[in-house]
Amino acid sequence: MICTTTVTTTKSSAHRALRATTVATFITATIAVAGCGSVNTTYTRTTPADSAISAQTRVNDLFQQFFLTAKEVRMNRTKGGPMEVQIDVENNGFAYKTFSYRFDWVDTAGNVIPSQLSVWKVTNVPSGGSTVIRAIAPSDDASDFRLQLRQSES
Amino acid sequence: MRIRSVIVLLPIALLAPVACERARYVDTGSPEGVITVGNVDMQDILKASSGMLESLAETGVLKTAKNKPAQLVMGEIVNDTSSRFDVGEMTYRMREQLVNTGQAAVVTTFGNTPEDKQAQEVLRREKFLKGETSEPLPDPDFSLTGKITQVKRSAGDTKQVTYTFRLTLTNLRSGLEVWTKTVDMTKLGNKNAVGF
Repeated sequence: MICTTTVTTTKSSAHRALRATTVATFITATIAVAGCGSVNTTYTRTTPADSAISAQTRVNDLFQQFFLTAKEVRMNRTKGGPMEVQIDVENNGFAYKTFSYRFDWVDTAGNVIPSQLSVWKVTNVPSGGSTVIRAIAPSDDASDFRLQLRQSES
Repeated sequence: MRIRSVIVLLPIALLAPVACERARYVDTGSPEGVITVGNVDMQDILKASSGMLESLAETGVLKTAKNKPAQLVMGEIVNDTSSRFDVGEMTYRMREQLVNTGQAAVVTTFGNTPEDKQAQEVLRREKFLKGETSEPLPDPDFSLTGKITQVKRSAGDTKQVTYTFRLTLTNLRSGLEVWTKTVDMTKLGNKNAVGF
């Protein structure tokens, strides 16, 4: 009986120790994943910029949408005449993200303006960090844009 | 026997997906393309030309020219990297955008080494036949020159290369630099890869 109790106790202790080890490992792994290469960002602006506009996103990759988010879209006219767009992209995931993007510019009639400026570009965002992707319109006629974003699988 | 079969079949099974990579079309400059560590890729050239064109449009420097559209002479752009590629891959894309949208006109009959010798000969002949001032010679506003350089570093097997594309626009009337732009591309890795 004693022996059984002892065994039970021993089993219980081992189980508790195992559970504690598992929890500790999980916490350590979470901290390691979150801390590895992640950045802290400080900013002072709490309201949208004057040039901020609303944008619509068609989501085909929920995973991408969840971790990479376009926080703000701004459009301004440059000194030279054509429009400039700036988009703040935030990485809310735990891993370093690599993604490519391409802007296509459209005129007032909604037609895409073919140009050598619409090319795929690759950029990276560390975990918890943000980056600004920007593009300049190919001509003064461009009034709007479309952005395609594609995330690396790695 | 069973172990021997596994040993023989395992490498074949692992190599099968590699062998199945069939040739296919991808968009030029697409991130799906091959990425090399030690060479300038098509993606890099397209990104460089796009960055240069964006900067030219953003600053509006071509709109300050006396001629409308601005007349441009293509100067020498030196490829000072160990990667062999034609600099025209970048400049012709830029010319296409500038000339076809009416932002600039490229003078191909200027100087002692004109791009189009036949056109220059015809122009000279016309000028000679009609008199000195009857046919105005091209009067370019700007010349475009540049250089492409590289900085290579490595740590163990990992290589890092930064390719820098830099272009300069000089006002041919004042001789001053009126626009300059640098586009960097840094690649890191130990072997070439297919993009994503």
